Amino acid sequence: MGDAIVNVSAWIEGLLLGTGLSEPWVSFIMTVISAFVIAFIPVVIVIFLVWGYRKASARMQGRLGPNSSGTWAGPGGIVQTFADAIKMLTKEDIRPAGVDVIPYNIAPILIFFIALVVWAVIPFGPGTVIGVDLNIGIFYIMAFSSAALFGVLMAGWSSNNKYATVSAFRSVALLISYEIPQLLSVLVVVMVAGSMSMQDIVGAQRSVMYLIALPLPAVIFLIASLAEVNARPFELLEAESELVAGYQTEYSGMKFGMYYLAEFINSVAVGAIFSTLFLGGWQGPFVDAAPILGTVWIFAKITLMTMLWMFIQITLPRLRIDQILNFNWKFLVPLALANLCVISIVNKLINAQASDWTRAGILLLTNIAIALVAWTLVALGGRQKRRQYEAELEVVA
Amino acid sequence: MLEQFTFIGVFLLVTLFISCAMVGLSWVLRPKRPDPRKSEIYECGLEPHGTPWFQFKAQYYIFALVFLVFDVEAVFLFPWAKAYSLIPLYAVIEGVLFILLLAVALIYVWRKGLLEWM
Amino acid sequence: MTIQATHETLKAKFPDAIQDAHAPYTGLIVDRDHLVAVATALRDELGFRYLSSVTGVDYPAATDGLPPRFEAVYHFYQSEGGPLVLHVHADRENPTVPSLTPLFPSADFQEREAWDLMGIRFEGHPDLRRILLWEGYAGHPLQKGFQEVYYEADTKPFDSRWPEGAPVRAESRVPLGRNLRYPADFSMQGWCPTDDPWGYIAHDQVADLKDTAHPTDRVVLNMGPHHPSTHGVLRLLVTLEGETIKKLEPVVGFLHRCHDKIGERNTWLGNMPYTDRLDYVCSMSNNLGYAVAVEKLLDVKVPERAEYIRVIMAEFTRFINHIIDIGFTGNDLGIYFTAMLMGMEERELIVDLFERVSGSRMMCNYMRFGGVAHDMTADDVAYARQLAFERLPQAIDKVDQFFTNNEVFKQRSINVGVLPAETAIAYGCTGPLLRASGVPYDIRRAEPYSIYDSFDFDVVTRQNGDVYDRYMVRLEEMRQSVRILQQALNRLPDGPIMDGKPKGLIKVPAGEAYGRIEAPKGELGFYLVSEGGNNPYRYHVRSPSFVNLGALEEMCKGYLIADTVIILASVDITLGEVDR
Repeated sequence: MGDAIVNVSAWIEGLLLGTGLSEPWVSFIMTVISAFVIAFIPVVIVIFLVWGYRKASARMQGRLGPNSSGTWAGPGGIVQTFADAIKMLTKEDIRPAGVDVIPYNIAPILIFFIALVVWAVIPFGPGTVIGVDLNIGIFYIMAFSSAALFGVLMAGWSSNNKYATVSAFRSVALLISYEIPQLLSVLVVVMVAGSMSMQDIVGAQRSVMYLIALPLPAVIFLIASLAEVNARPFELLEAESELVAGYQTEYSGMKFGMYYLAEFINSVAVGAIFSTLFLGGWQGPFVDAAPILGTVWIFAKITLMTMLWMFIQITLPRLRIDQILNFNWKFLVPLALANLCVISIVNKLINAQASDWTRAGILLLTNIAIALVAWTLVALGGRQKRRQYEAELEVVA
Repeated sequence: MLEQFTFIGVFLLVTLFISCAMVGLSWVLRPKRPDPRKSEIYECGLEPHGTPWFQFKAQYYIFALVFLVFDVEAVFLFPWAKAYSLIPLYAVIEGVLFILLLAVALIYVWRKGLLEWM
Repeated sequence: MTIQATHETLKAKFPDAIQDAHAPYTGLIVDRDHLVAVATALRDELGFRYLSSVTGVDYPAATDGLPPRFEAVYHFYQSEGGPLVLHVHADRENPTVPSLTPLFPSADFQEREAWDLMGIRFEGHPDLRRILLWEGYAGHPLQKGFQEVYYEADTKPFDSRWPEGAPVRAESRVPLGRNLRYPADFSMQGWCPTDDPWGYIAHDQVADLKDTAHPTDRVVLNMGPHHPSTHGVLRLLVTLEGETIKKLEPVVGFLHRCHDKIGERNTWLGNMPYTDRLDYVCSMSNNLGYAVAVEKLLDVKVPERAEYIRVIMAEFTRFINHIIDIGFTGNDLGIYFTAMLMGMEERELIVDLFERVSGSRMMCNYMRFGGVAHDMTADDVAYARQLAFERLPQAIDKVDQFFTNNEVFKQRSINVGVLPAETAIAYGCTGPLLRASGVPYDIRRAEPYSIYDSFDFDVVTRQNGDVYDRYMVRLEEMRQSVRILQQALNRLPDGPIMDGKPKGLIKVPAGEAYGRIEAPKGELGFYLVSEGGNNPYRYHVRSPSFVNLGALEEMCKGYLIADTVIILASVDITLGEVDR
């Protein structure tokens, strides 16, 4: 892909120069084109993902799933998503009485905007073929993705609806709480890789991917990210059986469609970020020989992560808000803190000349040790609770 | 460096444009037939009782406050993590001490019972 | 103590207040002023702690030497034995009866229903409002003098009947006119009836709920009727503090069609298909309950093969109901329909069998008085055997594997919605709801009907009475159902399936009967009064969903809003049966 894109962009650049435009203008136009291309990558992915999600959920539930969309079905009903998109666009937008107009209208735009923004720094292949390699790449992603909270809060609070308001309450507690373990596990990666640039993080995983060297931060990051994108078992903001549709209740037409798209885009983005941070991004066999394979690899990894997300989404029940917060503050945050402290010291103690595999092995052992200690503590706590309970039972008896 | 941030700037404008364009496109395409019945607030088919802008439960706010502590911590820790490979061991331990200091805050909140859902 | 002995004890205790009911009626006639004393004695001294059914009956003409009257009929049970029937008379001009709600909370909804439909006023009831019909309805439709709009009104409300103009509308003639049409200057916008604005007043007046240490605004929220997890059109009016439930009130009646009145209009047999619509998940059980009740009045002997077929169908229905309910619990927990579709798969196979034997998948209309409508062919039996011996045990194991040890499910359900045994009995809860609280009460054992006494099965109980235990009881009951099915299919005898020739028009001897069965959701009772005619004089359904719903507030108070939906799912209601 690298070559193809370079060739195409060189060709367009040549065309533009041929029309007699000056050099800065041409480079500016090329930037705009490139920006459009990146912004449309997630949108295109999502159109097929929605179809894939419907198909996958149907198969897991013993159904057929979409197989027809009006007059022309297309293979496996794949046209259905396009029909849905057109339907969303042409639906009447009903604004309920008494809403707070400005936040109500801004919220869906903000959420969709943030969902797209994080895609700028995802490395899709060796070298910066499309997008940009910011030196603060992962920081940029974290900063923008936490702003999605404002969108939810604005939508929930401005909707003049009690369900939406309760959903806004929950977003305050839930989304911000899970940001902390997410940040702390990203910090570990930044520390070990020595850079915040996404390309550098991928490069640091040349021989060992961080999933093997740092399994604990990887798991913490995955759990926290699932909570951030509002997936089950943390799906509390739009908990259908309780809050109808949560903060989206009063939205209709394209504004609702934007929430819907943003949710899917965010879920794929989590897959992409996880692949970059822990699965080695575009690294894979034979990438050096054929750079185009890098793009194939990262998309394969994103697909894998998205399948995992679907599987969790379709099979797990939802937890209650107090249980979710307990799990975060009493387990994930202490674990992530301990992890960060121990690894920062251990990693410093390793000889700088040590090979990648030695380093990874030591880090893996450290991770396992931390996990074992945490597990023991939790088990001891559980036993103590059980003893208390049994003692109470004896008193009752 | 500047070129990269130029790109980000352009990209932000482009995504903002796309987001607004989607709403704008539907604004052009969609039918507009307002009706007082349609614009009623949804509360399971009945007229709502009282305002939805009611008082927050203090619990949510406490979580937000605790979060603030850790978010500020993260801001300080990112440069530390970035410079990690350049700084000597004692500087790393200083960072760890800083983290532990904040962990004490978490333990305090925990012991106070503020993390229990009331 | 037998019922006869209890009658004697009561008569000795209250000599001037009690007399025997005149044949063919059963039970005792209690003086109105002594009802509360008699009921207290029954509950505290004689062990009749379970008030099953409260019914109102209208006798506009003098019968059996008794004056024209309204009657309130109570059916009491103890753990083994019953029913003890009490008749209380009230005069027609001012029908008042003392309320039993303070003694038996299970009377709460049923007394409101009797007031709503029959017009008997229960003095001392804490909240005697209409329950099935809407506030502001004029009249009480089960009274014999009630004229049904359009069908019985003197004139019909269609303009086309008077092509020359000057139509006479029914609503201008009947006293119920305002039920038919809104006044000319009426606007729906912002309308509230003055006496009870949508039922909110009770919630605004709750004063002592505010937590003074952490004051938070209370908010009144409607869950339902158009809500994804109320299993139909149930409205739950909840008062929240944060997300904690402080008060909860089920508001029912959105599907009301006055099933009792329809039953009085139909012939005895013509009523059978209407019972299908009560609990539309378990139509076979409803058929069985109605047939059992009517057969108490009729002198018929059900052939053995028919009894076996009835049991087979009833147990398949129980299986359907439980697996669907577990699936819906999963749905309310947010498993994205996966669990529910798992149950639906088994249900489809069983309703295939229903279709083969009865011709319909959901509305089976299969039982007849003295037998069943169609025989099971050898193919049907082979299909049923294949289900009962191979498919369904595997299905139960699958549910067991997915739910029982699922950590999230356990977290959400253990110690949620706890209902202690005493409370459950007081609220008249039956079925899995009662047995999960540790009361081994199953009508198939306590008062065997059909041929249940010849089968080997266990009454499943659990001790804690929370959502998880209700799930476990349902799971285990499915196993017991399969056990009964296997025995029944192994022993299925040959022979006729009807007692005599099938008859369309049946005359039922005069008398009263209360027939009840252990429906999947609990006790399904039919109270029938016959005057010897072609149709019932009084036909009352005591539906398990309706009475079990009364305990919902007790279970939900203090839990979070997220728990409410799974507690409701664990109560297992069908709105067709609640609203009737």
